[in-house]
Amino acid sequence: MTLEAVPESLRGELARWLIEVQPGVYVGNASALVRDLLWDKAVQHTRRGRCTQVYRAQNEQGFVIRTHGDGARRVVSLDGYQLVAVRNARHAELSREYAPPEDDDKL
Amino acid sequence: MTDPSNAIIWQRQNLRELPKFRDGTGYLYLEHTRLEQDGRGVRAYHPEGMLTIPVASLSVLLLGPGCSVSHEAVKALSDTGCSLLWVGEEGVRLYASGLGETRSAARLHRQATLWANPQSRLRVVRQMYAMRFPEGLPDDLTLQQIRGREGARMRDAYARYSAAHGVRWETRQYKQQDWNRATPINKAVSAGNACLYGLAHAAILSMGYSPALGFVHTGKLLSFVYDVADLYKVEVVLPIAFREAATPGDDLERRVRTGLRDHMTRLRLLERMAADLVHLLGGDDPDPEPSAPGDLWDPSGNAVGGRNYAGDDAGSRS
Repeated sequence: MTLEAVPESLRGELARWLIEVQPGVYVGNASALVRDLLWDKAVQHTRRGRCTQVYRAQNEQGFVIRTHGDGARRVVSLDGYQLVAVRNARHAELSREYAPPEDDDKL
Repeated sequence: MTDPSNAIIWQRQNLRELPKFRDGTGYLYLEHTRLEQDGRGVRAYHPEGMLTIPVASLSVLLLGPGCSVSHEAVKALSDTGCSLLWVGEEGVRLYASGLGETRSAARLHRQATLWANPQSRLRVVRQMYAMRFPEGLPDDLTLQQIRGREGARMRDAYARYSAAHGVRWETRQYKQQDWNRATPINKAVSAGNACLYGLAHAAILSMGYSPALGFVHTGKLLSFVYDVADLYKVEVVLPIAFREAATPGDDLERRVRTGLRDHMTRLRLLERMAADLVHLLGGDDPDPEPSAPGDLWDPSGNAVGGRNYAGDDAGSRS
């Protein structure tokens, strides 16, 4: 799990369960139940910060990503393949050009 | 100081760091996307946002309508052995591919040898058919009888899935001109087949075989792709295609691709494809030193390449 700009109390709580490898980066081997409880706790206490969680899963990629609190970066699933979509200036510039054609019934 | 032999050479992809086909992920389908290179990675400008694509572990990139790719991005894809596959809405496929990850021709030579001799070719054809019958095939069947059994097997499979999912099945149609009027189940099978053909093609290339030298199929540039895909079509594509065609709702092709991904993971399809290819055509690990110069052919045994054989009598030529 990673945390950015979150209250000190949340970081302390996470450090009880996981190892803080770098500031804001937590690694550990927890059960699915603990993993989900820690995620719920992080989402509740993040306030204006950001948090991410990556955990092992039985899918093609072998892991699942969840993010919370970051407007510019979102996890998208393309036919079941997870990638991170970033909305930046270059994308805004191109999206006008590459937007899917509008349906005729909307016009 | 780090060991200079481990220094990363950006000019040429170090072939040892590339994951083998069986360890990678399968396919990714994109629409209305622009692919560009950024630094060393490939970026896709998708309607959802800018995606950075892990191309080195990807086998096939399927590009649907509304995609464009820059020259640099294609080069990055071919360096990492990721196949590109343009897919039209009418099921028309147009392939492009890089070199695959192997730089040795040993497996291709072996495939060509097996293919060129009618006896060994027949042996491979029988093996390919036998793989689809768990109970095995009697040795005394002629090829015509084997083809009859295979036809019956396909017909039974369609009938079985049709009954199980309550989807009416009449006949397989390939309506290239009239995609929208094809029956949903035909659309679902076509969408699934596009993914499977793409993966088979990528497997063949990345293992260093040729897609053109087919054993069962013949005459097309992708004959061997159809051979390999047919080994798995019934168990991979049909259950998902019938399941999704029986489910109401739109987005049929997308649902088939999503369902196929989980199904292929369960079946460990990429691993099996790689293992089956080596099992069928034989072959060792043909990558001793990928960057060494190749030999020069000689009927009495190859001469070492990368040196000059002019000797002292080269005259004025140098």
